[in-house]
Amino acid sequence: MHFTRFSIAAAALTALAACAPPGQSASSEANATGPIKIANVNAQSGQLSSLGQWEHKGVKLAVDEANKAGGINGRQIKLDLFDDQGDPTVGTNLARKIASEGYIAMLGTAESAVTLAMSPILKDAKIPSITSGQSPKLAELKSPFMFLNAPTSVTFDETLAEYLVDDKGYKDIALISNNGAYGAGEHDAFLAALKTRNVTPLADEVVTPDQKDFNANLAKIREQDPEVLFIGAEEVQSGLIAKQARELGVKAVFAGGAPVGTDVYATTAGLENAEGTVVSSPYLSNEASEEIKAFAAKYKAAYNEEARMHVAKAYDGASILIEALKQTCGEGGQKLADAIRGVKRAGLLGNYAYDANGVGIHETKIGLLKDGKVVPEAAS
Amino acid sequence: MKRLLWLVPLAVAAWLLPYGLGGYAIHVADVAIIFAILAIGLGLTMGVAGQINLAQVAFFGVGAYAVAILTTKAGFGFWTAAALALLVAVVFGMLVGIPALRMQSHYLGIVTLGLALAFTNWVTNAHIAGRAEGISDIPVPPMFGIDLSSGYLFYYVELVVFAIALAFALLVTRSPLGRRLRAMRDDDLAAGSLGAEIPLLRMTAFVLSGLYGGLAGILYAGLIRFVAPESFNIANMFLLLAMVIIGGRSSIIGCVVGAVALSLVREALLDASGYAQLGYGLVVVLVVVFAPQGLAGLPGQIRSLLRRRAGGSRAQLGPFRPYGAAPASSREAALEVREVTKRFKGLVALDRVSLTVPTGEIRGIVGPNGSGKTTLFNVISGFYDPTQGSVALGGRDVTGMAPYRLSLRGVARTFQNLRLFEDLSVRENILLGLDRTRTSWIWRYPGLPWKVLDYERSLHRRGEELIERFGLTDVAGAGPRSLPYGVQRRIELARAMAMSPTLLLLDEPAAGLNGEEVRQLAEIVRSIRDSGVTVIVIEHNMGLVMSLCDQVTVLSSGKVIADGRPAEVAVHPDVVAAYLGDSMSAPTEATAEAAAEEATR
Repeated sequence: MHFTRFSIAAAALTALAACAPPGQSASSEANATGPIKIANVNAQSGQLSSLGQWEHKGVKLAVDEANKAGGINGRQIKLDLFDDQGDPTVGTNLARKIASEGYIAMLGTAESAVTLAMSPILKDAKIPSITSGQSPKLAELKSPFMFLNAPTSVTFDETLAEYLVDDKGYKDIALISNNGAYGAGEHDAFLAALKTRNVTPLADEVVTPDQKDFNANLAKIREQDPEVLFIGAEEVQSGLIAKQARELGVKAVFAGGAPVGTDVYATTAGLENAEGTVVSSPYLSNEASEEIKAFAAKYKAAYNEEARMHVAKAYDGASILIEALKQTCGEGGQKLADAIRGVKRAGLLGNYAYDANGVGIHETKIGLLKDGKVVPEAAS
Repeated sequence: MKRLLWLVPLAVAAWLLPYGLGGYAIHVADVAIIFAILAIGLGLTMGVAGQINLAQVAFFGVGAYAVAILTTKAGFGFWTAAALALLVAVVFGMLVGIPALRMQSHYLGIVTLGLALAFTNWVTNAHIAGRAEGISDIPVPPMFGIDLSSGYLFYYVELVVFAIALAFALLVTRSPLGRRLRAMRDDDLAAGSLGAEIPLLRMTAFVLSGLYGGLAGILYAGLIRFVAPESFNIANMFLLLAMVIIGGRSSIIGCVVGAVALSLVREALLDASGYAQLGYGLVVVLVVVFAPQGLAGLPGQIRSLLRRRAGGSRAQLGPFRPYGAAPASSREAALEVREVTKRFKGLVALDRVSLTVPTGEIRGIVGPNGSGKTTLFNVISGFYDPTQGSVALGGRDVTGMAPYRLSLRGVARTFQNLRLFEDLSVRENILLGLDRTRTSWIWRYPGLPWKVLDYERSLHRRGEELIERFGLTDVAGAGPRSLPYGVQRRIELARAMAMSPTLLLLDEPAAGLNGEEVRQLAEIVRSIRDSGVTVIVIEHNMGLVMSLCDQVTVLSSGKVIADGRPAEVAVHPDVVAAYLGDSMSAPTEATAEAAAEEATR
């Protein structure tokens, strides 16, 4: 008796489920009025929070300017900040949250691993995103909804290798990098660039992202007495490496990507130790051009702190998105992705022209650190 | 069947839940279910089996990474990869479990934590595991045309897996296996003497842990379709631990409640994530201090508080119903101890002890403190290997056999200072003794679960009979700790008899009993003997020894100094000397006694 009643109930349930599988009514509310919702996902807590906070300030500056200037065809942009904690799993949760709450585009994140995790979900939801990550793997995804606001590590390190090996003739090169997403990307890209030039590094030391003492690694490097030490790590760690290397008596020239061009690197290493460091970056300093000077002044007025590359590229990314939104009149999806791809912009980091993989900038510049400031090296 | 009726509304609610949830909320529910499965696994190993396992998050990672690598790098289909991943996780569980054979408690915690760290370290560095960037683009699990990339439909897959996982965990905990695991957690020596194969049980616990971890990992890979080292780090292990502790570690349902609750709290705290860890830590501390049994233990805690206020009634011990007399069996020796010597470093605890006990006899073993009586019991019941000499049971050599093997061959014992399992009820203590299966029997749990339930029912039937026979009906549901000492002695005797032994070893059964209880004890032991069981008693109560025993063996300083009928032995000059005088000439005895005590511990 019980059994029959139960099976009837079960049958009724299955029937119900079969008729109407649960799900969200496709969010085609296509609200042509009201504010345009844009999500900014960046780490606000955890190890990479300073990076995430800079990115957010840059994005906010661009959005505030656009809103003050009348928004997108009279509609305001509503920018909401989400904290991914630098954790890819949290990132995937946020990607779903963004998708289900009607955001039409995403800016961020600053960490490639998080962006990589979010990308497939955003692609399925047809939400274009402009990330600050620079891992070559982002471009390898070939997602039509994924755009980078900076060159990938491949570009950074190709330019660097070209300068060091082809122009300066250095052959004795050692590497030290961390095995985090950024460090590993730099390591692989620089090694590949060396390989095409038939240069084998004298040493290839790998550390962990939270390591603070590199004496053991650097002692091994000192034995090889290289001319150049390539540093593939974030700002503070790069500074610590440089400082400890000089203390151990390593005389090599330091070289690296954007992190070694920052004031954080220079102050951590000590101005004297950082002197002469070779930087490969699309954004060498706040004085590099008139546009950058104007931007740096604007940024200082808004936040009372110095501008830097992370701020500038986030600003560039947000500006590109705003420009594309103006073209689509606030519409998202495939149309917005196409519009972003079509934007040609002379930005702070260079001239943006997106290719099929979502990379917009294809060159970096070489600079040398003098007194803690990056001075552009005369193009050769 | 009626008892399971409450499940129906719950199942319906779970089935209908997605209709009321938004796209993000359903994702949160999906993640919560995965954590609930993980928490069940941790609850089984840590709560039920008492193995401190901090590698659960690594099992989770192994499952997820195995799916990711097999689908993206080796080109397997999702479900093939899933089956292989489950196997990999179980094998990994066994590897992590190996140290548990040698060490326990916090040492085991440190070792498993180290292995968990080793796992995250490996995946951050190995190219095949995608290093720090992880592996993305895991394919959507195919299922007869149903699109499982939708969180809503994936929810149903998870729900079914979860229901099966939960049912299996409940089957395990509420059956002979679970009882043995809990007994092992409380006191592994006593559990071994009751026939539990401790090494195999520990491995079983870790296999279960790997199984549930792997299962959760597979679902995770199917849901998130991305794996990275951060998802399996120590912070998440702590979160998982917090779920189990808050929910109540020894209750499976509690673990599930804890997992779901904390998943929701974590979601609510997403905006204050910087302080979330601090919050979890605080909650765990509060729970450990004020509700050590977690949420699941709260009802019991409140009930016992109320009862204390009401001043409960004192449990009454019923009369013992004697066993029927068995036909006199052959008079061959039930036990033969030949020339057994046991040395602890410098101390000789037993010195060439020989002893033959015929079937159906009550043998008394007496002697001053530290004369080696308990050491002799420990050798006979397999706790110690003799340094020299041999032990034979019914003519077959059993020297150096493990306690559980001897237990299965019919040796049962009680302990000088009571070793009842305190977290188990009196009834469960006795059911443990009744369960005579080998651990290898456990293939039936996944294979023929209804057989397990049948067996469990028959155990309960026989258990009730035994409880009634020993007059324990009133106290059967209580915890042993709450009962008077005399009752606890009776329970230990009943538990030993539950094993249907041929040889029963009683270590000071009358210690702490009053006159009436001693009289009842003698009556029970005689009845046991009459049913055909050989009994050996260590006892200081000389009145009891004289009236009860057929033969008495006297030990002094590890040597047999007299052997014979009680009346003869009592007047033996060596015995008198050992008990009354000459202690001045042997000043080492006190130290020897202390050392032997130390060794017995």
